[in-house]
Amino acid sequence: MTRSKVAGWLLIVAGMLGGMPATAVTLQFHAWGGSAQVNDYLQWVAGQVEARHGITLKHVKLADTSDAVARVLAEKAAGNHDQGAVDLIWINGENFAAMQRNNLLLKNWVSDLPNFKLTNPAQNPAMTTDFGLPTRGQEAPWGKAALVFYYNQRYLSAPPQNVQALLSFAHTNPGRFTYPLPNDYLGISFLKYVLLALNADNPDLLYAPVNADSFAQVTRPLWAYLDKLHPVMWRQGDYMVRQASHLQQLMGSGELLLAFSFTAAEIPGAVTRYDLPETVRTYAMQEGSLANVHFVGISYNTAHPDAARQVVNFLLSPEAQARKQQLAVWGDETVLDLSLLPKAARQRFVSQSSHPAALPAGAINRLLPEPHSSWTDALREAWFERYGARW
Amino acid sequence: MLRFPVIALAVRWIFISVLSLPIIAGVVGVMLPAFGYFPALGQDTFSLSVFAELWQVEGIGRMAWLSFFTGVTATGLAALLAIALLATFYQHSGLHTLQRLLSPLLVLPHAAAAIALLFILAPSGWAARIGAMITGDVLTPQWALPYDPHGVAVILALALKELPFIFLMALSVLTQPQLQTRLHKHIKCAQAMGYATVTAFIKVALPIIYPHLRLPVLAVLAYATANVEIPLLLGPNNPPTLAVVVLQWFNHVDLSMRFQASAAAVLQLLVTLAALASWWLAEQIVASWAKRMRLSGQRNQLSSVIQVFAWTGALLFVITGVLMLTSLVVWSVATYWTFPALLPEGVTLLHWQTALTALTQPLITTLVLGIAVSLVAVTVALLALEAEAGFMSKRTARWQQWDKIAVNITLYLPLLVPGVAFLFGLVWFQQRWLAGSVITHVFVSHLIYVLPYVFISLAVAYRRLDPRYMKVASGLSKSPWQVFWQVKLPMLFGPVLIAMALGMAISFSQYLPTLLSGGGRITTVTTEAVAVAAGSSQRLSAVYVLVQVMLPLSGFALAWYLPGRFFNPAARAKRRQKRIAANDTGT
Repeated sequence: MTRSKVAGWLLIVAGMLGGMPATAVTLQFHAWGGSAQVNDYLQWVAGQVEARHGITLKHVKLADTSDAVARVLAEKAAGNHDQGAVDLIWINGENFAAMQRNNLLLKNWVSDLPNFKLTNPAQNPAMTTDFGLPTRGQEAPWGKAALVFYYNQRYLSAPPQNVQALLSFAHTNPGRFTYPLPNDYLGISFLKYVLLALNADNPDLLYAPVNADSFAQVTRPLWAYLDKLHPVMWRQGDYMVRQASHLQQLMGSGELLLAFSFTAAEIPGAVTRYDLPETVRTYAMQEGSLANVHFVGISYNTAHPDAARQVVNFLLSPEAQARKQQLAVWGDETVLDLSLLPKAARQRFVSQSSHPAALPAGAINRLLPEPHSSWTDALREAWFERYGARW
Repeated sequence: MLRFPVIALAVRWIFISVLSLPIIAGVVGVMLPAFGYFPALGQDTFSLSVFAELWQVEGIGRMAWLSFFTGVTATGLAALLAIALLATFYQHSGLHTLQRLLSPLLVLPHAAAAIALLFILAPSGWAARIGAMITGDVLTPQWALPYDPHGVAVILALALKELPFIFLMALSVLTQPQLQTRLHKHIKCAQAMGYATVTAFIKVALPIIYPHLRLPVLAVLAYATANVEIPLLLGPNNPPTLAVVVLQWFNHVDLSMRFQASAAAVLQLLVTLAALASWWLAEQIVASWAKRMRLSGQRNQLSSVIQVFAWTGALLFVITGVLMLTSLVVWSVATYWTFPALLPEGVTLLHWQTALTALTQPLITTLVLGIAVSLVAVTVALLALEAEAGFMSKRTARWQQWDKIAVNITLYLPLLVPGVAFLFGLVWFQQRWLAGSVITHVFVSHLIYVLPYVFISLAVAYRRLDPRYMKVASGLSKSPWQVFWQVKLPMLFGPVLIAMALGMAISFSQYLPTLLSGGGRITTVTTEAVAVAAGSSQRLSAVYVLVQVMLPLSGFALAWYLPGRFFNPAARAKRRQKRIAANDTGT
């Protein structure tokens, strides 16, 4: 064990004991800032780490996480190796792949976090795999998300339960379904879901790096599917929304009867704020739901690696995870293995009164892990190649 | 110590350079990468390859056409309707009502107009709900608007914004004292010869006022062909207009897209030029046709067509305006609102609470920025005008003429050169050579847009000042500074406040300059409103637009109210009389 690791350990232990604050440090947490719920939660976290560890945590609200990645890369190019502006970063998928490839992340620190053990990483490979890439201790899991669908019960009693049913739904109800352009996160996720569902018999190729042969083979049914879907989509697929949030707005105005989201908790939230009709119901597809884990990384050039580790350890604490899972707070599913928690801690996760529009407990039948991260770009480029460069 | 006239003259030159230098720098900054020169990305040779690649981009011709088509059609529609309205209502009592109805729309930001229109055009808006009441549908209709592939929704929004501008510009030309009497006589003459009022206006008055209108109309046209926020909110995206694609490419994560973006910005400049040239050509054709028409001797020519057009246009405009405003208000307090119910199930203040919390910071930024920019703009414009009145009058006629041309060109430069074509280059210059906070950069780019309007608005009042007051003051051995500060400024108090309010309204409405110069780090009410418009909450979006509407209106309300209270000798005399009267009755 190196000396800095020992020091880190000591700091963490000291912090956990609630002893003296480590040092008066300020950390910049670069995280997507597009959700009021997430922003509020991070504000709560900031208050907690201030009180517990004397760390001032600033949430830098990103419109696009790749901005922060580009920033660390620019700092590295400029020779700034120890005073980075990005301390903590909320990432997964492509952005993680880019940071790992360019050695922009602090290495081998996750397994030293006391609370990381609670995720049961030995039994749960999803905690150490990010879009098919091993995380190598460079990022700690923070939450889980799955692609769920929601529909307007007022007009639709039996929503489609698989991709084929979705296509026939679109045919019988032309103009009532669409998906965002693939440069949106939700848009590309929809394509991945269809791809996984159509290749359910032989998904292995999707978990290996993409190559021309595997791409052609796996995507053939996808293009056939989309060719049939687009003409019966909202506005005949000619105009497609640019952002996931616009999709929800169209559900709210009643133009769409069926939509989907990566944040199941935002649906009841939107109903409470009157942005979605009361008759909206959330469910998961029978054949499985595209799912991924999102992580927190520490940049390689942070000036405060120890304080950053303390913050991540707090994010993984049962208290912080339970709060994050509450529907009223954020509704992001915990990464902790509840069976490893003491009874009192487990009690925190018991859900409160459920909302009619919320995803019913146990609704997710099967989790479909994200394909290897190299598929994202390939898929997006091929889509634009085929369906026109829409901007 | 520097003498006041020298300072004023210096400011006049600063005024010209503040307007022209950033735009020239910006255009150069866009031209260089367009021709393949961008050392930061490892390209330091000039070539045409970027344009060759741009030409290969799918749909590029269609994007350019969409920009051209929507801009020209909207401006044509707005100009024709403005002329028809003037011809129909010129000697009509409805003229002032019309003026009062159109004025608020002038200060409405483009983004706000587009979002407001979205509420009516959408298949879940009131028009659709009323339609569904008749047809008995329970699902929203699937009509083509908004986002239609030909940009009809974009044209409607642009025309909606441009009509008040052209109309009020024409009205201010018509009310210039000398012109007004001349036109009045001409029209009286034509009427005596048996011409219908409308026909008389078209045949006699229009040829006199149109030359005064040409520059504002061309500015509107240039703006319409290159506007970003309206096609972003209402336009198609398969493909979108050129201006939208320029924005998307410049903001692309892949930095090499900047080359293509720069070339597209140059193409945008060409599209705008082509639109201006087409307009000029159309003017020539119309002029030669009009000459024949004028000489035809027909007394009622076009009279009924124009009147029908004007009344329909005015009616549609008023209905749209009222629908827009009521829709926004209702959506902003709506709870659940199922289609096709005409009213929401209940009323809530939740959206206002959410929005006002989220808007506190942007609102402060918007106000501070708007006030600072307008104060500087008003000061600069006043001193530049002072230099014109004082120093310039002593120069040779030729010098005066050059000075006038320089000012006129620079005034219209920011209005004629599309923002997308120079702002990116300007931002690059600012980041490369001018250190300083982001807010300074945003300040400068706002100033470029605010100054011309403030100058134009002040110049009218300034040149109308009765010179005898100044002569008397000078005769009483007052210095130029004293004349300016103690005589002119108090007399100009009202126009200065109007110019301030106008400057703030222009600053409030800036979307692209704020977004680009601020690099997304400075958020104003307008940038937030555009971001929220495509967001998940229609109700929140309605609140944002209403805040956008209220901001400039409250500025103008103050500008109308304050002059009656301060520096108003008439009011002061009246108050004193009242006081004396009160004292008298008291004793």
